[in-house]
Parts: sequence; C-alpha cells; structure tokens
Amino acid sequence: MSEFLEVSRLSKRYTSKRGLFGAARSMYAVNDVSFRMTKGRVVGVVGESGCGKSTLARLILRLIEPSSGAVRFDGLDLLKQRPREMRRLRARMQMVFQDPYSAIDPRYTVADAVMEPFQIQGVRLSSAARSDMISGLLTMVGLNPQTASSYPHQLSGGQKQRIGIARALALKPALLVLDEPTASLDVSIQAQIVGLLERLQEEMGLTYLFISHDLALVKYFCDEVLVMYLGRVVEALPNTDAPARHPYTRTLLDSTFQPDPKLRRRIQPLAGEVPSPFDLGPGCAFAARCPRASERCRVETPLLAASGGGHAVACHHPD
Amino acid sequence: MNALAQSGVGRAFTTPLGLFSGGYILILLVVALTAPWITPFDVTIQDLANSNAAPGWPHLMGTDEFGRDVLSRVMYGARTSLSVSATAIGFSMIVGMALGAAAGYFGGLFERAVMTVVDLTWSFPDILIALMLVAIIGPGLSSTMFAIAVAYLAQFTRLTRAQIVQLKRETFIEATINLGATPAHILSRHLLPNAVAPVIVVGMLAIGDGIILEATLGFFGLGAQPPTPSWGAMMSSGTAQLFLAPWVIIFPGLVVAVTVIAINLFGDALIRALDIRERLRGT
Repeated sequence: MSEFLEVSRLSKRYTSKRGLFGAARSMYAVNDVSFRMTKGRVVGVVGESGCGKSTLARLILRLIEPSSGAVRFDGLDLLKQRPREMRRLRARMQMVFQDPYSAIDPRYTVADAVMEPFQIQGVRLSSAARSDMISGLLTMVGLNPQTASSYPHQLSGGQKQRIGIARALALKPALLVLDEPTASLDVSIQAQIVGLLERLQEEMGLTYLFISHDLALVKYFCDEVLVMYLGRVVEALPNTDAPARHPYTRTLLDSTFQPDPKLRRRIQPLAGEVPSPFDLGPGCAFAARCPRASERCRVETPLLAASGGGHAVACHHPD
Repeated sequence: MNALAQSGVGRAFTTPLGLFSGGYILILLVVALTAPWITPFDVTIQDLANSNAAPGWPHLMGTDEFGRDVLSRVMYGARTSLSVSATAIGFSMIVGMALGAAAGYFGGLFERAVMTVVDLTWSFPDILIALMLVAIIGPGLSSTMFAIAVAYLAQFTRLTRAQIVQLKRETFIEATINLGATPAHILSRHLLPNAVAPVIVVGMLAIGDGIILEATLGFFGLGAQPPTPSWGAMMSSGTAQLFLAPWVIIFPGLVVAVTVIAINLFGDALIRALDIRERLRGT
C-alpha cells in the first residue's frame, strides 16, 4: 500500500527587500521537510511560534505554493494537479483553522456555512436532504440543530470552532489538518473541542495532522510527533513515550507545566533567543542556544537521520 | 444582506437630520419621477407677454425671459439632474467595483496597471476631466453622463480594492479556497457582498457631487440641450437678466444647494446607521 501522505524535501523560501536599494534577504519558513503519514494516525507538529508549523500545513494543502519539494496524497502528486483537479481534490483534505472568530463569513448563517462545501463541490441536495444534512452535521459536532439560523456574531468561540469542524468534515475528507484548533479558546472549551476531535477521529477513521505549540496536548492526542525549529524538523518521535534525543525537544518538554509539585524537576532555562530566520548561515540553527554545541555544530548543518524504531533526530550530539 | 441594508437605511431616518434630509430626498424623487404629470405649467410653452414675471400667483417662482414657469422647470429639472447623476454614478459604481475587485483579488501587474490609470484620473479635478471628455465627445446628456461616470470612477475603484485587499486576508476566505472554491465564487459570494455597503454609501454621496457637476456642465451649455430644462442650464440663462429677474437664477441655484446638502446629510446619517465610518477612512 502506498503511503497516505508523503512529504518530501518541502521548502518555502521568502525573499524581501529592505527599501529601494536594500539588499534582498531571504528566509526559509519551511526548510527541507520530509515525513510520511499512515492512514488513521494522528501526527503532531510542535514548535515555537514562527517555526513554520502553519506554513507547513498550508504547503501540504497547497494553499501556498512551495519553493521546492513534493507532496503526494494518496498516490497523487499534489503539485502537478491542475487548478480544476486540485479544487476537486480539496474535498478530501480539509483544514480546521486557528481563529474560529474569522473562519465564517459574517454574512452567512450557520446553515449556509455548513452547506457551502456542497455548493462549492457541486453536490446538489433536495431541500429535505439539505435540512437533514444540516441537522446531521450540527449534531455530529455537538451543536443544537436550532443554531442553524444563527449568524456567526451570535455564537461563542467554541461554537464557531465546532462549525469550522462541521464545514471541514461535511465532504467526508480523509485527511484533516488541524492548525492550532484550540489555541484561541478558553481552557474548558479546549477540552471539549479536543474530545470532539478524538471522537470524530475514531468514528470516521480520519487521519489528523495536528499542529500545536502545546506539548502536553500533543502528547495526549497524537500517535507520532514532529518537532520543528526554525523551519526544519529537528526530531521525529515514533510515539509520545519515546525519550527525546534532541536538546531542543528536551528543553521543550522541560518547559511544560507539571501540576504535581512532587513531580516538578529542575529546569534548565534556555539562554538567548530564537535567531533571526533571515539569511541563516551554515550549521545547526539551534547551536547558539544549545548547551552541547561544538565547533562542528556551527559549520555543518545536521540532517534528520533515522536512529532506529522510527525515531529520527537532526543533531550531531544526540542523547 | 437586504434585511441588513434595509434596517440600516431605516435607522438612518431615526435622527432629526436624517429624517429631514431623507424626507426631502424622497419628495424630490417623487417630483422627479412624476414631473411630466404634476408640473403646474407645460415646461416648453412660451408666454412672451408674461416674460420675467416676478414670483406670485400663478407663477410661484416667477417666469423666465420666454415667460416659462420657473417652478415647473425646476421640477422638471430635478428629473434631468437626478436621472443623469444617478445613472452616471450607478454606471461608475458598477465598473469601479468590478475593476477594484479584480485588481484587489488578482493583484500583480494587472492591479498596478488599473491603479495607475485610475490614480491618473484622480490627480485632475473632476470638472477638468469632465470638461475634457465633453469637449472630445461633444455636448449632450449622454456625454455628460459619461463624463460624470469617469470623473468618479477612481473613488469606487480605490474603495473597493482597499476593502477586497483587507477581506482577502480573513480566515474565511482561506477556508473557502480550501473547500475548492473558484475565484468567481470567492468574489461573488464572499468578497463583494462584504465590501458593498461602504461603496453604496459613497455612491449615494457621489450622486450629490454628480448633480453639481451636471449643473456645472449645464451652466457651460455642455449638458442638457434646450429646451430640456436642467438646473445648470436654467442658471446659465438666468445670468443674462440677473438684475432684471433674479428669481430665474436664484431658485434653481437654491434647489441645487439644498439637494446636495440633503444628500450629504443623509449620507452621513447612513454612514452612522450602517456603522461603516472606519471602513471609509483613507479613501
């Protein structure tokens, strides 16, 4: 069986000019990212803000055109699809967005919003089937079917995110990319949304690419984890119990909050800041902040290398 | 969308200024629509025995040098002025929205080309552009309309483009693209419906400016040709007997002034009622 989703050497480079005569600078938002996803699994992508998580999500769905690399979805090379084919293919790969507040057109009722996917993909429904579908979708995401006639401004953030999920799942996609779906919600609502996503994944056999900066949530929710730092994948964990080997992953794990004071451990805070992503030189991007950095780290970029059991790490001095 | 616009228009009438200005505009609209049937005198019939009669009975606003009833001609002139200005602005609005939306959505070289031409027209005073165009095409109502439409095109194009550029960044646009929507769907179902309210209000204000421009062209003899009554042309003919029969120039001038003020006041009331002041800034 071919891989469900295969991302190979995907990069997105942005160039910008400072002023009229300034020298052009460039940065890689996503740099040489490769990974595979198996059907039915939940893969998490973690990293600080600005590390390229969201760009990666949009590159995979071809909402942004990559600078180089390839994305294969169910055996199809996405970047070779023509606009018309791509539009049809989008029905099978959907996304839930970070900001539920602006994810629905303010002029659309809930019913219009959840029916729009069918309208766009040219699925015609009788009016009876339509109202069945609306209440079916709203019930599926835990909303009262009576909200169908509401406008977005009458709904809470959590309700809007549920509608975002209903819209994404309306066409029964195989892949769902979740771009920080809980980041702008209250903690109590976050738990509800995560519970809903878990239930839907089991019921519909969905494959999730779950993007988050919340490591605890990713550990709870995902089967595999990719850790990103400044556009690169620095470590791929085959399961959430695998011990972290990259120094960056270790500091990330250290930074998660441990509610039980007896379990609190000594934390080594990271020195320095994330370097400017513009015109990164050779060497490991993390070298300036890494306690283990050696001369080699500053001149030679470490590549992601498999270290057995599906684990891969990009470090010259892994644990 | 209609319900929203209607409730907004309804709210515009709730302030005293909005009520008076809106009421005046409604009355003027009724007069303009029914002018051929309700004017007390025929607008073209000359009565030389009664020329330059002072306001009184039966000529409430007096008569002009040919003895024609000024009130009747002012009423009929509303029909000319409003229809010319509204048609021209409507046309300008549709073209401006299409150009602005396409420029804002597709961007790139097309956007730059459109905006350069549009900004070029905006760098001249309206009246200069209108005079140039009428000079090229020749006087008459249709060239007046064309000139007004071109003179205000920049405004609508810029306003629409600015809003589309801003709306394009909203998550719901990306979400809709990700559902497989075509550019036509995005533009017609999401971008334009969300951008239309401020454009309509600016259009309404521009109708007031259009009336002035139409009157100016009429005053220069480049607009409506005699004997069709228009406010500008009436004022122009009134200059000849400014001291002999000042009412010939005063009444049409007064009506132009009051109409434009009313349209502006009502436009302000609409802006407040629709709560779009923020979105009109900088255009």
